[in-house]
Amino acid sequence: MTDYVAGGRRLDEVPRTTEAAEALAVSRALRARLGPPAACWGMLILIASEGMLFAAFIATYYYLRFTSPEWPQDGLPAPKVLVPLILVGCLIATSVPMQLASRAARGGRLVATRLFLLAALVVQSGYFAYEVHDFQDQLRKFDIGRNAYSSIYYTLLGADHAHVALGILFNLWLLGKLARGLTTYRANATQAIAWYWHAVNLITLAVIGTLLSANV
Amino acid sequence: MAVATPPTPTAGERVDRLELMWQSRPGVLGWLTTTDHKKIGLLYFWATLVFFAAGGVEALLIRTQLSQPNEKLVSPNTYDQLFTMHGITMIFFFIIPMSTGAFGNYLIPLMIGARDMAFPRMNALSFWLFAASGIFIYTSLFLGIAPNAGWFNYVPLANRQFDTGRNIDFYSLGIIFNSISSTLTAGQFIVTIFKSRAPGMSLNRMPLFCFAYLAASLGLLFALPVLSADTILLFLDRNVGTHFFDVAHGGSALLWQHLFWFFGHPEVYILIVPAMGIATSIIPAFTQRKMVAFPLVAIAELLVVFIGFGVWAHHMFATGMPTISLVFFAAATAMVVIPSTIQVFAWCWSMVTGTARFRTPLLFIAGFIFMFVTGGLTGIMFLAIPFDQQVTDTYFVIAHFHYIIFGAAVFPLFGGMYYWFPKVTGKLYYELPGQISFWILFVGTNLLFFPMHIVGLLGMPRRVYTYSDGLGWTAYNLAETIGGYVTLVGILLLLGNLAASYFRGAPAGPDPWHGPTLEWATSSPPPDYDFPVIPKVTSAYPNWDPADRQEDRRKLAEGVLVLDEGHEQVATSPVDGLFAEIVEMPHESPWPIILALTVSLVFTMLVLQKFGVAAVMAVLCVLALLGWHSKEPQES
Repeated sequence: MTDYVAGGRRLDEVPRTTEAAEALAVSRALRARLGPPAACWGMLILIASEGMLFAAFIATYYYLRFTSPEWPQDGLPAPKVLVPLILVGCLIATSVPMQLASRAARGGRLVATRLFLLAALVVQSGYFAYEVHDFQDQLRKFDIGRNAYSSIYYTLLGADHAHVALGILFNLWLLGKLARGLTTYRANATQAIAWYWHAVNLITLAVIGTLLSANV
Repeated sequence: MAVATPPTPTAGERVDRLELMWQSRPGVLGWLTTTDHKKIGLLYFWATLVFFAAGGVEALLIRTQLSQPNEKLVSPNTYDQLFTMHGITMIFFFIIPMSTGAFGNYLIPLMIGARDMAFPRMNALSFWLFAASGIFIYTSLFLGIAPNAGWFNYVPLANRQFDTGRNIDFYSLGIIFNSISSTLTAGQFIVTIFKSRAPGMSLNRMPLFCFAYLAASLGLLFALPVLSADTILLFLDRNVGTHFFDVAHGGSALLWQHLFWFFGHPEVYILIVPAMGIATSIIPAFTQRKMVAFPLVAIAELLVVFIGFGVWAHHMFATGMPTISLVFFAAATAMVVIPSTIQVFAWCWSMVTGTARFRTPLLFIAGFIFMFVTGGLTGIMFLAIPFDQQVTDTYFVIAHFHYIIFGAAVFPLFGGMYYWFPKVTGKLYYELPGQISFWILFVGTNLLFFPMHIVGLLGMPRRVYTYSDGLGWTAYNLAETIGGYVTLVGILLLLGNLAASYFRGAPAGPDPWHGPTLEWATSSPPPDYDFPVIPKVTSAYPNWDPADRQEDRRKLAEGVLVLDEGHEQVATSPVDGLFAEIVEMPHESPWPIILALTVSLVFTMLVLQKFGVAAVMAVLCVLALLGWHSKEPQES
């Protein structure tokens, strides 16, 4: 039966990936697999759907802006530029450790996976904590119900923060799982969650860029 | 349920092992925790039939109210809720879940030679969310506070200022709730179609049915979030005090329409494309020839949905948009004619050049082509911008889209029910009553919808509660109402035929039609594991390749690709169908229904404006998700 071919491959070359429950076996099985796992495909679906949600919100922002005689409306101050940009830069930088964690997991390097994830998590949590604080601060200056500008401003920002929060929960869950060793399932999850973070970072850049465009 | 007479004893043992591994718990608990795509498909089928009945009763109440001038069968307030719920029900709770949830779930894995969907538990989740969202939105009808601003729910009418009750909150939350379920189904189909095809089934060997479902799923995936965004903004406007749609505070009423129709028009193609997929399954089986222009039809199915994303503003020609926008969207809309016509010609030419046997399923497809072309021709008329502005919001529009939605989207569903009935039940349906049911439905729907063209041109507005005598509308309206009841008789005969056949029909055997695709290569009804051997595929009509099917039987004897070591499934590469890996699949699980319950609690609290409690319920959802992911595949 070993020399049977199906779908262009000898059957004994095709790995039973989900059986692997120990670092070395995981990396061997994942090398024998073709292409990303279903987990990553599932994540792509989530990213596509969330991407469209944000596209709709951003379209709303520009639609309201270009049908409005002044922007921001009612003489509200345009958002500050420098601090948000630096913060977004820090958040985007976490794509690097996330990707490294994903590589390490697929290579069967458990300790490195945990460390990269932890490094990313520290920066992401710092970003989130500052942004939540800042959000409350701004709400004191003008609230969401002032006009259409304030409505879309806080909706976009809040939706983005919620996605960062979800990513932080993902990473916490992943670190909890990895505390009990590496399996194919966890390596797949690391890869998928890294993809999630790349998408959230891009979305954050688009959101902040949109909001800062009120200065132009 | 076992496959008929396995060739050797060892093969028999393998099949027994598969049976043991894939069988689900008996009884009600088995249905509540099932992850079997066939069982979920059947759950969808029964649930959507209930909603179809509800939407049908609403339609008949509307038609009876309009049967004669100055009729007062229901109150105006009830009437508003009836036509709104009729639209919501037929679109979100009948056609989409029937075509994707029921037909897609049951058939896609069988057609691509898979044992289950790519994410079986998520499949169960999407069904339970669908059922819960249906109960959620129908609760409002029984409380007398159902959505009442039409299915496209225009602001400012739908905003707090003019609609003070909870009605529209049920709309916005119910739609978001339902969208989650549909998005999960769409994602499920996309990943399953790309990742779970039998090794060797490259994209050019994939059945056209799957191309159609891929197109519909991509449409849902990219269109639904925009509807969700729109309804989120409306919910915020009504409950948090934002001003997205409030012109007095810098908002825009047209914004609602843009976002709604950005979803709404692809939605129309999402409704119709699965029907096209069903047509491309039935036509080869009853003409015994391969589809004409296979690659063109595949591309056309995808193209219809793709172009559908660039035409939304043709629903807004009467809103005073700049001429340049009007012309752009009219031109874009004209492009839809191209892929539609390619398909019409391919279907017709396949029938003309094959030996067409007009049994009930093919009759429904012929009826579908007639209705699709008729509805399409009135659709082209809307391209003429002045004409469109004249007939906007009249019964002419109602006539047009009912020809498309009932005639073109639902007729193939009926045809498909007959076509796959032997596969699902193992019984043959009664042919003569089947054909009679088609003719009753064909006459009934044309009597119901054709006069709407005329009253529309005579100026009868849609959604009007009643009308006075002497406008020349009376006779047409009476004819429509009679047509409505004739249609009801046809549907009852169809369902009665299927019910009687289920109990008394002759045994069908695995392949009564000599069908082209893989679902006919396994027993009827299919075993829990779908196929005893992962099938070999060398063409787009694998059941017409006897050598390959022979090889499958040989492989079962040798134990090759039986995968009887675990609850396993193959994964392949997305384009070429290369054998990528073998994965352990999740089996039945209580978590999908638990998570659906917690999500329902969140939406219930939101509609009651108890936002704090809703947040607590959201934490419950997270806990349910943690439970869901507590057990990994290698631990089972």
